[in-house]
Parts: sequence; structure tokens; C-alpha cells
Amino acid sequence: MQLKSSRREIKSIDLLPLINVVFLLILFVLIAGRPTTNHPGGMEVADTTIESEYKGGPFSVHLREDNLFYLADGQQVTLGELAERVTSLGLVDQGLAIELLADRRAHAKPLLEFRRAMAKAGIGEIRMKTRIATEGVVIE
Amino acid sequence: MKLAASRKKNNMMGLTPLIDMIFLLLLFFLLGSDFVSYGQNRLAPPRGAGGNDSAPQPAIVSLAANGDLQWNGAPIDRPSLAQRTAEAARISEEQVFVLMPNGKANVQQVIHIMDVLIGAGAQSVTLERDIFDIDLADF
Repeated sequence: MQLKSSRREIKSIDLLPLINVVFLLILFVLIAGRPTTNHPGGMEVADTTIESEYKGGPFSVHLREDNLFYLADGQQVTLGELAERVTSLGLVDQGLAIELLADRRAHAKPLLEFRRAMAKAGIGEIRMKTRIATEGVVIE
Repeated sequence: MKLAASRKKNNMMGLTPLIDMIFLLLLFFLLGSDFVSYGQNRLAPPRGAGGNDSAPQPAIVSLAANGDLQWNGAPIDRPSLAQRTAEAARISEEQVFVLMPNGKANVQQVIHIMDVLIGAGAQSVTLERDIFDIDLADF
């Protein structure tokens, strides 16, 4: 007598719900996220409660936690070199703004020196990148 | 004579490449997207016609490293600072506010006080290192 096979028949898994969910995830990321800006890793910009549009700038300078200035490519620069660079790039002649990404933990002294050096170089406006705080500002 | 069936075998379309591509797209967007909202604080150096007699004297706000504030040399707290700023901005739209942070105050403190000033209606906020750096001809 032939016994009935106890093995269940393997049915293929229905993949449509998986594809639907992954498509929904893609849609969510597309809508809720925005393409990564030039924000460098490890740098925390200051929180702000004032809503403003982020526009970036043609030239970015980073003030890191060590109170030193760096270009976007990571090269350390002095304020004198920065002043020369903004002049040679024609930012002063074109009246363009400079973008400053300052770490929230950096001291105000280099920030003040930067503002003064850029004003002397003829830069009319400095745009400081901030993070719009949704849950209040923490001041250390 | 029985002819062979001409119908092709109905093979199910392979979904694996599609799923692979969707997962790759998902990874790309997850890693390439930023969910943080960024803004900008404008930091304008003092600029003006120079020596305009009608322009009001700049209001000087000092920020100590421990967060203490002064308004033209007199101690003030944050709510009063906002109130005084609103009053000054109401009197003259051209009122310039000069924030003088202590060198050891951090950038977050500076931005916070700038927020208080801008939130109270200040149109022009600038930073100065020292009272002697302020050139009144700029205002």
C-alpha cells in the first residue's frame, strides 16, 4: 500500500505585497527627504528657531569645533588666505555672499574674526548655515 | 496525425531583477537624502551711506561666555531683551543691533541671541568683536 506523502506542496511566495511596500518606501523617501546638501559629516551647525530658506552659496567655509577654518575640500586655511581667495575668485567684485558652516560648539572668537576679515576683504554678506530646530533649542 | 500544440508554455516572469532594482533604488534614496531642515542666518557687515545724522545709534547687546546679557552696558534677561528689541525696532526700522559675544561664548549661544533679536523684529543684526571696532560712520 502506498502511503500518502506527508510533504506539503511548496507554493511560490506572493511577491506583490513586498514590491508594493518597497515602492511605498521609495515614495516616502522621495517626498520626505531632499537630496543631500554639502553638509559635511561630523559637523553640527547651530539650531535656530527662525524659519528661513536654505540657499547655499557659491563659496563655503567651514568653522569646525577646533576653531579652525577649512575649505569644503577639507583643506585648512587662515583668514588671510581666505581673504585672498575670495578676492581672486571674484566674489567681492560680483557682490556674492559667502556661506559659513560653523560648528555649534566652536567659539565666537573665530566667528568674529572671520566676520571682520571678510568685511575688510569687501564681502557684503555672510550666510550662516543653521538647522531649523523642531523640538526647541538646546544651549550648552 | 496529432499536431503538436503551438501554444508556448506560459512561464512566470522572473521578479528577482525587479526586486533587486527596487531595493537598490531604495538604498540610493535613503543614503542620498537628507531629512534635516536647514536654514540660514544672514550676517551682514554694517554698511550704509555713512555718517547719516538721522540714523539711530546702534543698540549694543553683549553676550558673556556664561550666557549673561547686557543691553548698552546694563544687565538684561532674555524676555526683557526681546521686549527692548521690539520697542527699538518699532521706533525705527533702520535700528541696527550689534551683538558683541565674548570670545569664549559658543556659536550656538550667538545664534540663539540672534534668533531672539530677529524674532523680536530686528531687521539688521551684526556682530562685532569689541566696542572699539564699531565704526559709527558705517551706520
